[in-house]
Amino acid sequence: MDLQVQLGRLALKNPVMVASGTFGYAREMAGMVELGRLGGIVPKTITRDPRAGNPPPRTVETTAGLLNSIGLDNDGLDAFLQNQFPFLASLDTAIIVSVAGKSYDDFVYLAERLGRVAGVAALELNVSCPNVSGGVDFGTDPSMCEKVVRGVRGVCDLPVLAKLTPNVTSVPAIAQAAADGGADAVALINTCLGMAVDWRRRRPRLGNVLGGLSGPAIKPIALRIVYQVAQAVDIPIVGIGGIASVDDCMEFLVAGASAIQVGTASFYRPSVTMEILDQLPEALRALGADSVSEVIGTLQHPAR
Amino acid sequence: MSCGCKPTYPDRTWHGAAEVIENTAVAEGTYRIRLVCPHLAAHAVPGQFVMLRLRSGDDPLLGRPLAMYEVVLNDAGEPWALDIVYLAIGKMTRCLAMVGSGEQIDVWGPLGNGFPAEPVDHLIMVGGGIGQTPFLALSQEALGRRAYGQADRRPGWAKRATLCYGARSERLLACVDDFCNAGVTVRLATDDGSTGHRGLVTDLIEPLVGESGGSCRIVSCGPEPMLKAVVEIARRLGVPCQASLETPMACGMGICFSCVTKIRDDAGGWDYRRTCIDGPVFDAEKIVFD
Repeated sequence: MDLQVQLGRLALKNPVMVASGTFGYAREMAGMVELGRLGGIVPKTITRDPRAGNPPPRTVETTAGLLNSIGLDNDGLDAFLQNQFPFLASLDTAIIVSVAGKSYDDFVYLAERLGRVAGVAALELNVSCPNVSGGVDFGTDPSMCEKVVRGVRGVCDLPVLAKLTPNVTSVPAIAQAAADGGADAVALINTCLGMAVDWRRRRPRLGNVLGGLSGPAIKPIALRIVYQVAQAVDIPIVGIGGIASVDDCMEFLVAGASAIQVGTASFYRPSVTMEILDQLPEALRALGADSVSEVIGTLQHPAR
Repeated sequence: MSCGCKPTYPDRTWHGAAEVIENTAVAEGTYRIRLVCPHLAAHAVPGQFVMLRLRSGDDPLLGRPLAMYEVVLNDAGEPWALDIVYLAIGKMTRCLAMVGSGEQIDVWGPLGNGFPAEPVDHLIMVGGGIGQTPFLALSQEALGRRAYGQADRRPGWAKRATLCYGARSERLLACVDDFCNAGVTVRLATDDGSTGHRGLVTDLIEPLVGESGGSCRIVSCGPEPMLKAVVEIARRLGVPCQASLETPMACGMGICFSCVTKIRDDAGGWDYRRTCIDGPVFDAEKIVFD
Protein backbone atom coordinates (compact mmCIF):
# COMPACT_ATOMS: atom_id res chain seq x y z
CA MET A 1 0.00 0.00 0.00
CA ASP A 2 1.38 3.37 -1.02
CA LEU A 3 0.71 5.79 1.82
CA GLN A 4 2.83 8.66 0.52
CA VAL A 5 1.20 12.01 -0.03
CA GLN A 6 2.38 15.27 -1.50
CA LEU A 7 1.52 18.71 -0.13
CA GLY A 8 2.96 20.98 -2.80
CA ARG A 9 6.70 20.74 -2.32
CA LEU A 10 6.34 18.77 0.95
CA ALA A 11 6.37 14.98 0.64
CA LEU A 12 5.07 12.91 3.56
CA LYS A 13 5.55 9.19 4.02
CA ASN A 14 1.93 8.90 5.11
CA PRO A 15 -1.01 11.28 5.61
CA VAL A 16 -1.26 11.03 9.42
CA MET A 17 0.18 13.99 11.32
CA VAL A 18 -0.39 15.46 14.76
CA ALA A 19 -1.73 18.99 15.08
CA SER A 20 0.00 21.93 16.71
CA GLY A 21 -0.93 22.58 20.33
CA THR A 22 -2.15 19.04 20.83
CA PHE A 23 1.12 17.12 20.98
CA GLY A 24 3.42 19.38 23.00
CA TYR A 25 6.91 19.22 21.52
CA ALA A 26 6.56 15.45 20.89
CA ARG A 27 9.17 14.57 23.54
CA GLU A 28 6.29 14.23 25.99
CA MET A 29 4.77 11.43 23.90
CA ALA A 30 7.93 9.45 23.15
CA GLY A 31 6.89 6.76 25.62
CA MET A 32 3.35 6.46 24.27
CA VAL A 33 3.66 6.83 20.48
CA GLU A 34 6.16 5.51 17.92
CA LEU A 35 6.95 9.01 16.73
CA GLY A 36 8.88 7.85 13.67
CA ARG A 37 5.75 6.22 12.23
CA LEU A 38 3.93 9.55 11.98
CA GLY A 39 3.68 11.23 8.61
CA GLY A 40 4.58 14.50 10.29
CA ILE A 41 4.67 16.32 13.57
CA VAL A 42 3.55 19.90 14.06
CA PRO A 43 4.92 21.04 17.42
CA LYS A 44 3.16 23.62 19.56
CA THR A 45 3.10 27.04 17.88
CA ILE A 46 6.10 29.25 18.56
CA THR A 47 6.30 33.01 18.53
CA ARG A 48 9.24 35.36 18.14
CA ASP A 49 9.35 36.17 21.86
CA PRO A 50 8.26 34.13 24.91
CA ARG A 51 4.56 34.26 25.82
CA ALA A 52 3.20 33.29 29.26
CA GLY A 53 -0.19 32.41 27.77
CA ASN A 54 -3.63 33.03 29.22
CA PRO A 55 -4.68 32.65 32.86
CA PRO A 56 -6.33 29.37 33.94
CA PRO A 57 -8.81 27.79 33.65
CA ARG A 58 -7.50 27.27 30.14
CA THR A 59 -9.72 24.40 29.08
CA VAL A 60 -13.24 23.26 29.77
CA GLU A 61 -14.89 20.13 28.49
CA THR A 62 -18.16 20.51 26.61
CA THR A 63 -20.41 17.89 25.03
CA ALA A 64 -18.04 15.77 22.91
CA GLY A 65 -15.72 18.73 22.69
CA LEU A 66 -13.04 20.77 24.39
CA LEU A 67 -12.88 24.55 24.67
CA ASN A 68 -9.44 26.01 25.11
CA SER A 69 -7.91 29.41 25.66
CA ILE A 70 -4.27 28.43 26.13
CA GLY A 71 -3.05 31.61 24.46
CA LEU A 72 0.09 30.40 22.66
CA ASP A 73 2.03 29.74 25.87
CA ASN A 74 5.58 29.18 24.58
CA ASP A 75 9.17 30.10 25.38
CA GLY A 76 9.88 31.83 22.06
CA LEU A 77 11.94 30.90 18.99
CA ASP A 78 15.40 30.83 20.59
CA ALA A 79 14.35 28.57 23.47
CA PHE A 80 12.51 26.31 21.01
CA LEU A 81 15.59 25.91 18.84
CA GLN A 82 17.79 25.27 21.84
CA ASN A 83 15.58 23.06 24.01
CA GLN A 84 12.95 21.41 21.84
CA PHE A 85 14.15 21.26 18.26
CA PRO A 86 17.17 18.91 18.65
CA PHE A 87 14.88 16.09 19.81
CA LEU A 88 12.37 16.80 17.05
CA ALA A 89 15.10 16.88 14.41
CA SER A 90 16.32 13.45 15.54
CA LEU A 91 13.00 11.84 14.60
CA ASP A 92 12.38 10.02 11.34
CA THR A 93 9.38 12.13 10.42
CA ALA A 94 8.65 15.51 8.85
CA ILE A 95 8.85 18.34 11.39
CA ILE A 96 6.52 21.13 10.35
CA VAL A 97 7.16 24.12 12.58
CA SER A 98 4.07 26.13 13.47
CA VAL A 99 4.66 29.85 13.84
CA ALA A 100 2.47 32.77 14.83
CA GLY A 101 3.14 36.47 14.73
CA LYS A 102 1.38 39.63 15.77
CA SER A 103 2.69 41.40 12.71
CA TYR A 104 3.83 40.77 9.15
CA ASP A 105 7.38 41.40 10.34
CA ASP A 106 7.08 38.72 13.04
CA PHE A 107 6.06 36.09 10.48
CA VAL A 108 8.83 37.09 8.11
CA TYR A 109 11.42 37.10 10.90
CA LEU A 110 10.39 33.63 12.09
CA ALA A 111 10.38 32.25 8.53
CA GLU A 112 13.79 33.71 7.75
CA ARG A 113 15.33 32.23 10.91
CA LEU A 114 13.68 28.81 10.53
CA GLY A 115 14.53 28.67 6.84
CA ARG A 116 18.18 28.42 7.85
CA VAL A 117 17.66 25.59 10.37
CA ALA A 118 18.52 22.12 9.07
CA GLY A 119 15.82 19.59 9.82
CA VAL A 120 12.79 21.81 9.42
CA ALA A 121 10.61 20.17 6.74
CA ALA A 122 8.05 22.95 6.37
CA LEU A 123 6.36 25.89 8.08
CA GLU A 124 2.76 26.03 9.17
CA LEU A 125 1.56 29.60 9.49
CA ASN A 126 -0.88 29.83 12.39
CA VAL A 127 -2.93 32.76 11.13
CA SER A 128 -5.92 31.44 13.01
CA CYS A 129 -5.40 31.23 16.76
CA PRO A 130 -8.59 32.60 18.35
CA ASN A 131 -6.96 33.14 21.73
CA VAL A 132 -4.54 35.96 21.14
CA SER A 133 -5.20 39.54 20.25
CA GLY A 134 -3.46 40.61 17.08
CA GLY A 135 -2.44 38.23 14.35
CA VAL A 136 -5.85 36.79 13.62
CA ASP A 137 -6.38 39.41 10.92
CA PHE A 138 -4.02 37.40 8.75
CA GLY A 139 -6.58 34.61 8.76
CA THR A 140 -9.71 36.70 8.28
CA ASP A 141 -8.67 39.24 5.65
CA PRO A 142 -7.80 37.70 2.26
CA SER A 143 -5.38 40.43 1.22
CA MET A 144 -3.48 40.25 4.50
CA CYS A 145 -3.37 36.44 4.29
CA GLU A 146 -1.95 36.60 0.78
CA LYS A 147 0.59 39.20 1.83
CA VAL A 148 1.91 37.25 4.81
CA VAL A 149 2.21 34.01 2.83
CA ARG A 150 3.99 35.86 0.04
CA GLY A 151 6.29 37.53 2.56
CA VAL A 152 7.22 34.21 4.12
CA ARG A 153 7.80 32.62 0.71
CA GLY A 154 10.08 35.49 -0.13
CA VAL A 155 12.50 34.90 2.73
CA CYS A 156 12.71 31.10 2.94
CA ASP A 157 12.63 28.11 0.65
CA LEU A 158 10.60 25.86 2.97
CA PRO A 159 7.20 24.54 1.94
CA VAL A 160 4.49 26.66 3.55
CA LEU A 161 1.14 25.54 4.97
CA ALA A 162 -1.43 28.15 5.98
CA LYS A 163 -3.62 27.01 8.88
CA LEU A 164 -6.92 28.79 8.62
CA THR A 165 -9.71 29.68 10.96
CA PRO A 166 -13.32 28.54 10.46
CA ASN A 167 -14.52 31.76 12.12
CA VAL A 168 -15.08 33.65 8.86
CA THR A 169 -17.96 33.91 6.42
CA SER A 170 -16.09 32.18 3.61
CA VAL A 171 -13.04 30.02 4.15
CA PRO A 172 -12.56 29.39 0.40
CA ALA A 173 -11.86 33.10 -0.13
CA ILE A 174 -9.10 33.03 2.49
CA ALA A 175 -7.75 29.72 1.18
CA GLN A 176 -7.62 31.16 -2.36
CA ALA A 177 -5.68 34.13 -1.00
CA ALA A 178 -3.21 31.77 0.68
CA ALA A 179 -2.84 29.90 -2.61
CA ASP A 180 -2.30 33.18 -4.48
CA GLY A 181 0.39 34.10 -1.95
CA GLY A 182 2.22 30.88 -2.74
CA ALA A 183 1.12 28.47 0.00
CA ASP A 184 1.90 24.84 -0.74
CA ALA A 185 -1.23 23.75 1.12
CA VAL A 186 -3.89 24.95 3.50
CA ALA A 187 -4.59 23.29 6.87
CA LEU A 188 -8.29 23.32 7.78
CA ILE A 189 -9.52 23.99 10.41
CA ASN A 190 -8.31 25.67 13.57
CA THR A 191 -10.79 25.77 16.47
CA CYS A 192 -14.30 27.21 16.33
CA LEU A 193 -14.76 30.20 18.60
CA GLY A 194 -16.97 29.27 21.53
CA MET A 195 -17.85 29.89 25.14
CA ALA A 196 -18.98 28.11 28.29
CA VAL A 197 -20.89 29.75 31.14
CA ASP A 198 -21.29 28.87 34.81
CA TRP A 199 -24.72 30.41 35.38
CA ARG A 200 -24.74 29.84 39.12
CA ARG A 201 -21.69 32.03 39.52
CA ARG A 202 -22.62 34.17 36.49
CA ARG A 203 -19.11 33.67 35.17
CA PRO A 204 -17.46 32.40 32.00
CA ARG A 205 -15.82 29.05 32.62
CA LEU A 206 -12.64 29.98 30.73
CA GLY A 207 -10.09 32.34 32.21
CA ASN A 208 -9.98 34.20 28.90
CA VAL A 209 -13.82 34.21 28.54
CA LEU A 210 -13.86 32.99 24.91
CA GLY A 211 -12.02 29.98 23.57
CA GLY A 212 -11.63 27.61 20.66
CA LEU A 213 -13.76 24.47 20.40
CA SER A 214 -12.13 21.25 19.22
CA GLY A 215 -12.85 17.54 19.34
CA PRO A 216 -15.56 15.33 17.82
CA ALA A 217 -18.13 18.14 18.19
CA ILE A 218 -16.55 20.12 15.33
CA LYS A 219 -15.88 17.32 12.85
CA PRO A 220 -18.93 18.05 10.67
CA ILE A 221 -17.90 21.72 10.43
CA ALA A 222 -14.35 20.76 9.49
CA LEU A 223 -15.54 18.29 6.85
CA ARG A 224 -17.84 20.90 5.34
CA ILE A 225 -15.03 23.43 5.10
CA VAL A 226 -12.55 20.93 3.65
CA TYR A 227 -15.17 19.98 1.07
CA GLN A 228 -15.96 23.61 0.19
CA VAL A 229 -12.31 24.55 -0.16
CA ALA A 230 -11.54 21.42 -2.19
CA GLN A 231 -14.24 22.47 -4.67
CA ALA A 232 -12.92 26.01 -4.97
CA VAL A 233 -9.16 26.07 -4.53
CA ASP A 234 -6.45 24.23 -6.41
CA ILE A 235 -3.88 23.48 -3.70
CA PRO A 236 -3.72 20.47 -1.35
CA ILE A 237 -5.64 20.49 1.91
CA VAL A 238 -4.69 19.12 5.33
CA GLY A 239 -7.87 18.15 7.17
CA ILE A 240 -8.11 18.86 10.89
CA GLY A 241 -11.04 18.80 13.30
CA GLY A 242 -12.29 16.01 15.53
CA ILE A 243 -10.37 13.21 13.84
CA ALA A 244 -10.23 10.27 16.23
CA SER A 245 -10.42 7.12 14.11
CA VAL A 246 -9.52 5.67 10.73
CA ASP A 247 -13.11 6.29 9.62
CA ASP A 248 -12.73 9.99 10.42
CA CYS A 249 -9.44 10.04 8.52
CA MET A 250 -11.02 8.40 5.46
CA GLU A 251 -13.96 10.83 5.53
CA PHE A 252 -11.56 13.77 5.28
CA LEU A 253 -9.54 12.16 2.49
CA VAL A 254 -12.64 11.44 0.45
CA ALA A 255 -13.97 14.95 1.08
CA GLY A 256 -10.80 16.42 -0.40
CA ALA A 257 -7.98 16.41 2.15
CA SER A 258 -4.59 15.06 1.04
CA ALA A 259 -3.47 14.50 4.63
CA ILE A 260 -4.89 14.88 8.12
CA GLN A 261 -3.83 16.06 11.54
CA VAL A 262 -5.05 14.43 14.73
CA GLY A 263 -5.57 16.97 17.49
CA THR A 264 -7.67 16.68 20.63
CA ALA A 265 -8.01 12.90 20.29
CA SER A 266 -4.37 12.52 21.38
CA PHE A 267 -5.43 13.96 24.76
CA TYR A 268 -7.87 11.16 25.47
CA ARG A 269 -6.50 8.29 23.34
CA PRO A 270 -2.74 8.81 23.47
CA SER A 271 -1.91 6.28 20.73
CA VAL A 272 -4.85 7.08 18.43
CA THR A 273 -2.46 7.97 15.58
CA MET A 274 -0.92 4.51 15.72
CA GLU A 275 -4.39 2.93 15.55
CA ILE A 276 -5.22 5.02 12.49
CA LEU A 277 -1.94 4.05 10.80
CA ASP A 278 -2.53 0.37 11.62
CA GLN A 279 -5.99 0.44 10.09
CA LEU A 280 -5.47 2.80 7.15
CA PRO A 281 -4.26 0.23 4.57
CA GLU A 282 -7.32 -1.95 5.14
CA ALA A 283 -9.65 1.05 4.87
CA LEU A 284 -8.02 2.03 1.57
CA ARG A 285 -8.33 -1.54 0.29
CA ALA A 286 -12.02 -1.43 1.11
CA LEU A 287 -12.31 1.25 -1.58
CA GLY A 288 -10.22 -0.83 -3.95
CA ALA A 289 -7.33 1.64 -3.70
CA ASP A 290 -3.62 0.83 -3.74
CA SER A 291 -2.61 4.29 -2.58
CA VAL A 292 -3.85 7.20 -0.52
CA SER A 293 -3.75 9.50 -3.52
CA GLU A 294 -6.40 7.39 -5.30
CA VAL A 295 -9.06 8.29 -2.73
CA ILE A 296 -8.36 11.98 -2.17
CA GLY A 297 -11.34 14.11 -3.16
CA THR A 298 -13.32 11.20 -4.62
CA LEU A 299 -16.64 12.16 -3.04
CA GLN A 300 -19.53 11.16 -5.28
CA HIS A 301 -22.18 13.83 -5.59
CA PRO A 302 -25.75 12.63 -5.38
CA ALA A 303 -27.80 13.09 -8.54
CA ARG A 304 -30.21 15.98 -8.24
CA MET B 1 15.69 16.31 45.25
CA SER B 2 13.72 19.28 44.22
CA CYS B 3 10.14 19.12 42.99
CA GLY B 4 8.93 21.13 40.05
CA CYS B 5 12.23 21.80 38.29
CA LYS B 6 12.40 19.21 35.55
CA PRO B 7 9.56 17.52 33.69
CA THR B 8 8.81 13.88 34.37
CA TYR B 9 8.10 12.61 30.88
CA PRO B 10 5.68 9.68 30.75
CA ASP B 11 8.32 7.34 29.36
CA ARG B 12 7.38 4.32 31.47
CA THR B 13 3.69 4.84 31.01
CA TRP B 14 1.29 2.05 30.21
CA HIS B 15 -1.97 2.70 28.46
CA GLY B 16 -4.77 0.38 27.60
CA ALA B 17 -8.01 -1.13 28.79
CA ALA B 18 -8.03 -2.29 32.40
CA GLU B 19 -10.60 -4.60 33.92
CA VAL B 20 -12.51 -3.28 36.90
CA ILE B 21 -12.43 -5.80 39.76
CA GLU B 22 -14.48 -3.79 42.21
CA ASN B 23 -15.94 -0.31 42.56
CA THR B 24 -17.45 0.22 45.98
CA ALA B 25 -18.61 3.11 48.12
CA VAL B 26 -16.24 3.87 51.01
CA ALA B 27 -17.85 7.10 52.27
CA GLU B 28 -20.59 9.47 51.16
CA GLY B 29 -20.04 10.09 47.44
CA THR B 30 -16.62 8.43 47.66
CA TYR B 31 -15.65 5.21 45.90
CA ARG B 32 -12.71 2.88 45.63
CA ILE B 33 -12.14 1.32 42.21
CA ARG B 34 -9.71 -1.54 41.63
CA LEU B 35 -8.17 -1.89 38.17
CA VAL B 36 -6.07 -4.75 36.84
CA CYS B 37 -2.98 -3.19 35.25
CA PRO B 38 0.20 -5.02 36.35
CA HIS B 39 2.73 -2.92 34.41
CA LEU B 40 1.29 0.33 35.67
CA ALA B 41 1.08 -1.03 39.22
CA ALA B 42 4.72 -2.10 39.06
CA HIS B 43 5.95 1.37 38.15
CA ALA B 44 3.69 3.70 40.13
CA VAL B 45 5.18 5.55 43.10
CA PRO B 46 3.37 7.52 45.83
CA GLY B 47 2.10 10.87 44.62
CA GLN B 48 1.80 9.85 41.00
CA PHE B 49 -1.54 9.76 39.26
CA VAL B 50 -3.30 8.00 36.42
CA MET B 51 -5.80 9.14 33.82
CA LEU B 52 -9.05 7.20 33.67
CA ARG B 53 -11.48 7.38 30.77
CA LEU B 54 -14.78 5.67 30.13
CA ARG B 55 -14.95 3.53 27.01
CA SER B 56 -18.63 4.22 26.39
CA GLY B 57 -18.34 7.16 23.98
CA ASP B 58 -17.33 10.78 23.59
CA ASP B 59 -19.32 12.35 26.41
CA PRO B 60 -17.60 12.76 28.78
CA LEU B 61 -14.77 13.20 26.29
CA LEU B 62 -11.58 13.43 28.32
CA GLY B 63 -9.88 11.31 30.91
CA ARG B 64 -9.66 12.50 34.50
CA PRO B 65 -6.52 12.59 36.65
CA LEU B 66 -6.81 10.59 39.86
CA ALA B 67 -4.15 9.86 42.44
CA MET B 68 -2.84 6.37 42.99
CA TYR B 69 -4.24 5.15 46.31
CA GLU B 70 -2.62 1.74 46.66
CA VAL B 71 -0.95 -1.00 44.66
CA VAL B 72 -2.58 -4.41 45.10
CA LEU B 73 -0.34 -7.49 44.96
CA ASN B 74 -1.30 -10.87 43.53
CA ASP B 75 -0.83 -14.19 45.32
CA ALA B 76 2.78 -14.29 44.17
CA GLY B 77 3.38 -10.93 45.82
CA GLU B 78 3.77 -9.09 42.50
CA PRO B 79 2.12 -5.75 41.66
CA TRP B 80 -1.12 -6.59 39.93
CA ALA B 81 -3.85 -3.99 40.36
CA LEU B 82 -4.27 -0.37 41.29
CA ASP B 83 -6.70 1.10 43.78
CA ILE B 84 -8.03 4.59 43.16
CA VAL B 85 -10.22 6.40 45.70
CA TYR B 86 -12.33 9.15 44.14
CA LEU B 87 -15.14 11.53 44.87
CA ALA B 88 -18.10 11.36 42.46
CA ILE B 89 -18.44 15.07 41.95
CA GLY B 90 -18.63 15.85 38.20
CA LYS B 91 -19.97 14.32 35.01
CA MET B 92 -17.16 11.83 34.52
CA THR B 93 -16.71 10.69 38.12
CA ARG B 94 -20.48 10.21 38.50
CA CYS B 95 -20.40 7.96 35.43
CA LEU B 96 -17.33 6.21 36.83
CA ALA B 97 -19.24 5.36 40.00
CA MET B 98 -21.72 3.40 37.85
CA VAL B 99 -19.06 1.14 36.31
CA GLY B 100 -19.38 -2.44 37.49
CA SER B 101 -17.00 -5.33 38.09
CA GLY B 102 -15.91 -7.04 34.89
CA GLU B 103 -16.23 -3.87 32.79
CA GLN B 104 -13.19 -2.22 31.26
CA ILE B 105 -12.02 1.37 31.34
CA ASP B 106 -9.13 3.11 29.63
CA VAL B 107 -6.15 3.92 31.81
CA TRP B 108 -2.84 5.64 31.21
CA GLY B 109 -0.11 6.20 33.73
CA PRO B 110 1.66 6.40 36.06
CA LEU B 111 2.06 10.12 35.47
CA GLY B 112 3.76 12.99 37.26
CA ASN B 113 6.68 13.12 39.64
CA GLY B 114 5.43 11.75 42.98
CA PHE B 115 6.61 12.68 46.46
CA PRO B 116 10.32 12.50 47.28
CA ALA B 117 11.43 9.53 49.41
CA GLU B 118 13.89 11.51 51.51
CA PRO B 119 14.72 10.51 55.09
CA VAL B 120 12.92 12.43 57.85
CA ASP B 121 12.00 11.73 61.46
CA HIS B 122 8.38 12.77 61.27
CA LEU B 123 6.33 12.88 58.06
CA ILE B 124 3.28 15.09 58.52
CA MET B 125 0.66 14.61 55.81
CA VAL B 126 -2.13 17.14 55.46
CA GLY B 127 -5.13 16.17 53.35
CA GLY B 128 -8.37 18.05 52.81
CA GLY B 129 -11.52 16.91 51.02
CA ILE B 130 -10.39 13.96 48.86
CA GLY B 131 -6.74 15.04 49.32
CA GLN B 132 -5.88 12.15 51.64
CA THR B 133 -5.69 9.71 48.72
CA PRO B 134 -2.00 10.05 47.77
CA PHE B 135 -0.92 9.51 51.35
CA LEU B 136 -1.72 5.86 52.07
CA ALA B 137 0.96 4.55 49.72
CA LEU B 138 3.30 7.30 50.86
CA SER B 139 2.88 6.26 54.51
CA GLN B 140 3.35 2.60 53.69
CA GLU B 141 6.60 3.41 51.96
CA ALA B 142 7.76 5.94 54.55
CA LEU B 143 7.25 3.49 57.40
CA GLY B 144 8.95 0.65 55.50
CA ARG B 145 5.87 -1.52 55.12
CA ARG B 146 5.73 -1.50 51.33
CA ALA B 147 7.96 -0.71 48.36
CA TYR B 148 6.74 0.99 45.18
CA GLY B 149 8.07 1.44 41.70
CA GLN B 150 11.46 0.20 40.66
CA ALA B 151 14.52 -0.05 42.88
CA ASP B 152 15.31 3.67 42.99
CA ARG B 153 13.20 4.34 46.11
CA ARG B 154 14.27 2.85 49.44
CA PRO B 155 11.34 2.25 51.83
CA GLY B 156 11.52 3.05 55.52
CA TRP B 157 12.60 6.66 55.16
CA ALA B 158 10.53 8.05 58.07
CA LYS B 159 10.41 7.09 61.75
CA ARG B 160 6.80 8.15 62.21
CA ALA B 161 3.95 9.41 60.07
CA THR B 162 0.90 11.47 60.99
CA LEU B 163 -2.10 12.19 58.78
CA CYS B 164 -4.05 15.39 59.41
CA TYR B 165 -7.27 14.83 57.51
CA GLY B 166 -10.09 17.31 57.22
CA ALA B 167 -13.51 17.20 55.59
CA ARG B 168 -16.82 18.99 55.96
CA SER B 169 -18.33 16.20 58.03
CA GLU B 170 -17.56 12.72 59.41
CA ARG B 171 -19.67 10.98 56.76
CA LEU B 172 -17.30 12.27 54.07
CA LEU B 173 -14.13 10.88 55.68
CA ALA B 174 -12.93 7.93 53.63
CA CYS B 175 -10.50 5.10 54.37
CA VAL B 176 -9.39 6.32 57.82
CA ASP B 177 -8.99 2.69 58.95
CA ASP B 178 -6.51 2.02 56.14
CA PHE B 179 -4.22 4.68 57.58
CA CYS B 180 -4.60 3.41 61.15
CA ASN B 181 -3.77 -0.12 59.98
CA ALA B 182 -0.69 1.20 58.23
CA GLY B 183 0.71 2.50 61.50
CA VAL B 184 -0.14 6.13 60.81
CA THR B 185 -1.27 8.44 63.59
CA VAL B 186 -4.51 10.02 62.35
CA ARG B 187 -5.77 13.44 63.44
CA LEU B 188 -9.17 14.42 62.10
CA ALA B 189 -10.88 17.74 61.63
CA THR B 190 -14.43 18.44 60.47
CA ASP B 191 -16.16 21.72 59.72
CA ASP B 192 -19.28 20.64 61.64
CA GLY B 193 -17.43 19.03 64.56
CA SER B 194 -19.06 15.63 63.91
CA THR B 195 -15.71 14.03 64.70
CA GLY B 196 -12.23 15.17 65.66
CA HIS B 197 -11.27 18.83 65.83
CA ARG B 198 -14.09 21.21 64.96
CA GLY B 199 -12.48 23.58 62.52
CA LEU B 200 -9.78 23.61 59.91
CA VAL B 201 -7.38 20.75 59.34
CA THR B 202 -4.59 23.31 59.21
CA ASP B 203 -5.18 24.07 62.92
CA LEU B 204 -3.67 20.64 63.68
CA ILE B 205 -0.28 21.24 62.11
CA GLU B 206 1.55 23.57 64.46
CA PRO B 207 1.10 21.51 67.67
CA LEU B 208 2.35 18.41 65.81
CA VAL B 209 5.48 20.16 64.65
CA GLY B 210 6.03 21.47 68.17
CA GLU B 211 5.97 17.99 69.73
CA SER B 212 7.99 16.27 67.00
CA GLY B 213 11.43 16.57 68.53
CA GLY B 214 13.39 15.56 65.40
CA SER B 215 13.17 16.64 61.80
CA CYS B 216 9.78 17.16 60.16
CA ARG B 217 8.49 17.39 56.64
CA ILE B 218 5.00 18.43 55.64
CA VAL B 219 3.31 17.09 52.53
CA SER B 220 -0.08 18.35 51.53
CA CYS B 221 -2.89 17.72 49.08
CA GLY B 222 -6.31 19.30 48.88
CA PRO B 223 -8.17 22.44 47.84
CA GLU B 224 -6.05 25.46 47.01
CA PRO B 225 -7.08 27.63 50.01
CA MET B 226 -6.00 24.80 52.31
CA LEU B 227 -2.71 24.32 50.46
CA LYS B 228 -2.03 28.01 50.69
CA ALA B 229 -2.59 27.93 54.47
CA VAL B 230 -0.39 24.84 54.88
CA VAL B 231 2.41 26.44 52.89
CA GLU B 232 2.23 29.59 55.03
CA ILE B 233 2.35 27.57 58.26
CA ALA B 234 5.30 25.52 57.02
CA ARG B 235 7.17 28.66 56.02
CA ARG B 236 6.53 30.30 59.39
CA LEU B 237 7.70 27.21 61.26
CA GLY B 238 10.66 26.67 58.98
CA VAL B 239 9.54 23.15 58.03
CA PRO B 240 10.23 21.80 54.52
CA CYS B 241 6.97 21.34 52.64
CA GLN B 242 5.70 19.92 49.38
CA ALA B 243 2.22 20.30 47.97
CA SER B 244 0.44 18.16 45.39
CA LEU B 245 -1.81 20.33 43.26
CA GLU B 246 -5.29 19.33 42.10
CA THR B 247 -5.24 21.48 38.95
CA PRO B 248 -7.78 20.31 36.37
CA MET B 249 -6.11 18.53 33.44
CA ALA B 250 -7.14 17.62 29.92
CA CYS B 251 -4.42 15.10 28.97
CA GLY B 252 -2.19 14.41 32.00
CA MET B 253 0.86 13.95 29.73
CA GLY B 254 2.13 17.46 29.08
CA ILE B 255 0.77 17.98 25.58
CA CYS B 256 -2.17 20.33 26.14
CA PHE B 257 -0.80 23.07 28.44
CA SER B 258 -4.14 23.32 30.30
CA CYS B 259 -3.06 22.46 33.83
CA VAL B 260 -0.59 25.26 34.32
CA THR B 261 0.19 26.86 37.64
CA LYS B 262 2.43 29.78 38.54
CA ILE B 263 5.86 28.50 39.58
CA ARG B 264 8.72 30.75 40.64
CA ASP B 265 11.70 30.81 38.32
CA ASP B 266 15.36 31.42 39.15
CA ALA B 267 15.16 35.02 37.94
CA GLY B 268 12.71 35.96 40.70
CA GLY B 269 9.66 36.00 38.47
CA TRP B 270 7.24 33.20 37.63
CA ASP B 271 6.20 31.15 34.67
CA TYR B 272 3.19 28.95 34.00
CA ARG B 273 4.35 25.35 34.38
CA ARG B 274 2.49 22.19 33.57
CA THR B 275 1.21 20.58 36.78
CA CYS B 276 1.03 17.16 35.11
CA ILE B 277 4.68 16.72 34.14
CA ASP B 278 6.44 19.40 36.20
CA GLY B 279 4.38 18.31 39.24
CA PRO B 280 1.86 17.51 40.57
CA VAL B 281 4.17 17.70 43.61
CA PHE B 282 5.96 21.03 43.96
CA ASP B 283 8.24 22.41 46.63
CA ALA B 284 6.02 24.77 48.57
CA GLU B 285 8.24 27.82 48.20
CA LYS B 286 8.08 27.53 44.41
CA ILE B 287 4.29 27.84 44.18
CA VAL B 288 2.85 31.30 43.57
CA PHE B 289 -0.66 31.41 45.05
CA ASP B 290 -2.95 34.10 43.66
